[in-house]
Amino acid sequence: MSSYSQVAVLGYGTMGAGIAQVVAQSGRNVMVLETDQARIDSGRQRVTDFLDEGIRRGKVSTTHRDSVLSHIAETTDVAELAGCELVIEAVVEDYDLKAKLWSAVAAVVGSKAVLTTNTSALSVTQLASGVPDPGRFAGLHFFNPAPLMPLIEVVRALQTTPEVVAALHEFCVSLNKTPVEVKDRPGFLVNRLLMPYLNDVIDGYDSGLASAEDLDTALELGLGYRMGPMRLLDVIGLDTHHHATLSAYEQTLDPQYAPPPLLSRMVAGGYLGDKSGRGFRVGGGIEGRTR
Amino acid sequence: MSVTVESSQGLAAVSPPIKTVGVVGAGTMGSGIAVVTARAGYRTIVCDLDEKNLKRGLDTARSFLHKSMEKGKLPEEEGQAAIANLCGTTALAGLADADVVIEAVFEDLSLKQQLWSDLDAVVAPETLFHTNTSTLPVTGIAAGSKRPNRVVGTHYCNPAPLMKLVEVARGRYTDEDAYQRTSAFMKSLGKVTVTVKDRPGFIVNRFLIPWENNVIRALEAGLGTVESIDLAVVKALGHPMGPFRLLDIVGMDIHKEVAMRLYEQFRDPRFAPPPLVDRMIAAGDLGRKTGRGFYTYNDSRLFGA
Repeated sequence: MSSYSQVAVLGYGTMGAGIAQVVAQSGRNVMVLETDQARIDSGRQRVTDFLDEGIRRGKVSTTHRDSVLSHIAETTDVAELAGCELVIEAVVEDYDLKAKLWSAVAAVVGSKAVLTTNTSALSVTQLASGVPDPGRFAGLHFFNPAPLMPLIEVVRALQTTPEVVAALHEFCVSLNKTPVEVKDRPGFLVNRLLMPYLNDVIDGYDSGLASAEDLDTALELGLGYRMGPMRLLDVIGLDTHHHATLSAYEQTLDPQYAPPPLLSRMVAGGYLGDKSGRGFRVGGGIEGRTR
Repeated sequence: MSVTVESSQGLAAVSPPIKTVGVVGAGTMGSGIAVVTARAGYRTIVCDLDEKNLKRGLDTARSFLHKSMEKGKLPEEEGQAAIANLCGTTALAGLADADVVIEAVFEDLSLKQQLWSDLDAVVAPETLFHTNTSTLPVTGIAAGSKRPNRVVGTHYCNPAPLMKLVEVARGRYTDEDAYQRTSAFMKSLGKVTVTVKDRPGFIVNRFLIPWENNVIRALEAGLGTVESIDLAVVKALGHPMGPFRLLDIVGMDIHKEVAMRLYEQFRDPRFAPPPLVDRMIAAGDLGRKTGRGFYTYNDSRLFGA
């Protein structure tokens, strides 16, 4: 293990729990900060469930599960983060909330700690500007589900020092992940490319180009993609994609990020994909209703 | 009193079963499609007006089948039968027996229209006309025939013998019978079909071209390097290869050609190739085939040695 033996994770939602698990799996100690015990319980349950699923599939041993869980502790008290050398923030995508949290955390962890955010929609540079010594602030963008997805975008804010970028690169490698260094621009690299493509497919579908199933089949068989775009949208969550692409649109005013009208209506109607059981492919889709 | 039972198949029952397939154009796509139809048991007549092209196309098809047998991917008996199914002609009149004609000639609208117009006089009225166009309007191509109702767009992926997908597009006047018979024929070829409106690029090219252009723009904007962008896309999105690797295989000249044809029809700047494309073409950096594209290749065989 190379560096950062004490890591703080802020937030125990889907991403926070996944990140805590990944870091704990590398043998490091993780302290997760949440607002109340109920959220701590459900976050810990997420990690346990994920590892249990691995046991069911024969990919994880019970010893491994117990060891990972033993490396994760939780608290509702910011003061307990003292001594953490690396902080990874994964709370809800709300600038004011993140900024407030960062000033509280920065005051506790000391000036040497490296501070990172898992934001996918906000400007890392803007978040960095709110902490003392912003040169140690960067983005560490994991993909969902974090324990399975191999890529991490290491986001360089305008202030981030080359030393911090290099250290984070090494940290990602020690997690058995593949780091890619990216600029702090809306969507960074992967989402910047993915969002216009998904929006384009939604518009194509809305114009009756082909059925949702045929769109997926064509792109899976024609290009070898593991998952077609309609299915992928159901998995990501239509609300999640809507939020991300709207945020990129607001920052760029580039129409390819503008949420397609059908997407907005599906979100408004509760067609969120897998999580609500209704989407482009799940729950019988919306075929026959839109045309 | 006797009751006459009518065929529930309607018009389809009138059409004879498909036995003979004509393939026009013996280039990469034509010879690949000929492998597919011959392998599925159809007598396959490949037609190319240029004798040299015809010979090369037939050689390519036969050699593909031989390699499949050598690799054990195709039983000897079936392979030999497929080879026996293949024959060639340099005259359209040689396609008189065809129940389906699959057109895979150069992407030129008037050339394709003329071909169907000429074939109207050669083949039976119920013979299906399949066009393998990737970017031209099926409706426009169909306008060349006096019977546009029998013209269907069937877009195969390259290499046709290996890729399962065929995009099936109905033109404005394609009738249900032609569409149904085409679907059944595709099934008999072992293909998976998707049904798509007759719109530029159908599904795959329609979404691939703006994606690739965006990736090139991201490179120009310094958001990553060729290597880091390829790595990120493969690792995060599960694509079988990175977008720059794919562009090098496709070739920058081909990418530009397809992109421009879609741009001309959509008038949407997302389809227009970014400036870097022209510069790479000017420099001769077309991709794998010239040994240099986004990556450099040291494969001497590709220089025509």
